[in-house]
Amino acid sequence: MSAQTNAAGFYTESNLAPGEYQITVAAAGFDTKSENLTVTVGASQTLDVTLQAALTLEDLGISPQQTQANPQEQARLNKRSHMLQVHQRLGLITTVPLAATVISGFFAGGKRGVTSSSSRDLHAALGSATVGLYAATAYYAIFAPKIPGAKTEGPIRFHKALAWIHGPGMILTPILGAMAFNQRSQGEKVHGIAKLHGQVAIITAVAYGLAILSVSVHSGAAARKAHAFFGLFHSGNSDSADAAIDGALAKAGTE
Amino acid sequence: MKNRFTIFFLLAAPLLLPSAARAQNNWTLEKSTLTYHVSHPLHEVAGVSHAARGKGVCRSGKCDFLVAAPVKSFDSGDSNRDLHMLQVVRGADFPMIIVRFSLPESELDAPSIHCNLQIQFAGQTVEYKQVAFQQTIQGKDHHITGTIPATVSDFKIDPPKLLMVPIKNEIPVDVDMTWTPDATGAAGGKSSH
Repeated sequence: MSAQTNAAGFYTESNLAPGEYQITVAAAGFDTKSENLTVTVGASQTLDVTLQAALTLEDLGISPQQTQANPQEQARLNKRSHMLQVHQRLGLITTVPLAATVISGFFAGGKRGVTSSSSRDLHAALGSATVGLYAATAYYAIFAPKIPGAKTEGPIRFHKALAWIHGPGMILTPILGAMAFNQRSQGEKVHGIAKLHGQVAIITAVAYGLAILSVSVHSGAAARKAHAFFGLFHSGNSDSADAAIDGALAKAGTE
Repeated sequence: MKNRFTIFFLLAAPLLLPSAARAQNNWTLEKSTLTYHVSHPLHEVAGVSHAARGKGVCRSGKCDFLVAAPVKSFDSGDSNRDLHMLQVVRGADFPMIIVRFSLPESELDAPSIHCNLQIQFAGQTVEYKQVAFQQTIQGKDHHITGTIPATVSDFKIDPPKLLMVPIKNEIPVDVDMTWTPDATGAAGGKSSH
């Protein structure tokens, strides 16, 4: 059962059944206090309770502005997380046609009289699918909301840096591929800049794979060795995480 | 048979303030390191904050402590992951982690402390009972270490996933704090950092 005091802090409760009671007193900004009371038949009893002022965040020097909710920022964070999750999933899905394109490329190369047009058609189709999925993946990353004031540190720096390799590569590879495709379709040997199609494609695929690995694996001996090799995303800001990696890097160097 | 009977004080509150101002013994959190640990098959993550502030007030043989840290202050060394963490724990809606606990004044110098922690985080209030801490005293400094056995489900957090695999439910928080008694003995003073 519950009751409220009047403005002066007085309360009464009548016709209580005799027995043991626990009285809990609470008020906003004050500590809650409990007292035990035994109610006997026909007796009027008084129980005075004194509350102490609870510590508040203002006592710690934390202003109300620092504790105020920011629904707009939360909505921004929610949208960002959602879009990056889609980016992650599309990125993983893209690896399938990408790998298939690379593999089929070994059978679609410019050996006149050896490779068939159907192999080249398959390779071109897989390449087109890869580019389409890649574009969708990139869209969700590029247009995910940025959070003002957020710094970039950790493996994400490496992940973003690799985009400057596989991004242009994903544009250049199909262009060079189309040139090579046309040359072969006309019975010519692949020549000129189109000869670079395979190499550009391999570099693009490797950069893409490393981009996925950079944000997927962050523990274990393989990751530590990769981190030691690249050393690009070690920020040195976090005490425990980076201290742990520092220790592991030192150890990896002696393995 | 014990009955529960709850009474609410409202406007009587201002009359009680003078007694709060006569607090006999105050404590200030001088420095702290809070570290959360998240486990995933591909990742082991530790996010660290040195930004906690704390105060303790002792009255009538009982000491009440309040510790608070901004959620944004936790740094795992990966900004992308920190932003995701901020989103998952609704850090923009609930910017602070707030911990309240009490200790009998007689136990303030004990080498081993057990206390009930009330933690407000991610919009939830959870109580952890009898959490063990170790204490070493050097001069005036009381150095306290321990681990809070927090879990994702306790705070109704949707566990984040990487490559479709969620993190483990357990997110223990290592606590390393140094408390010093406040020489002035006055309640409500601002902490220094």
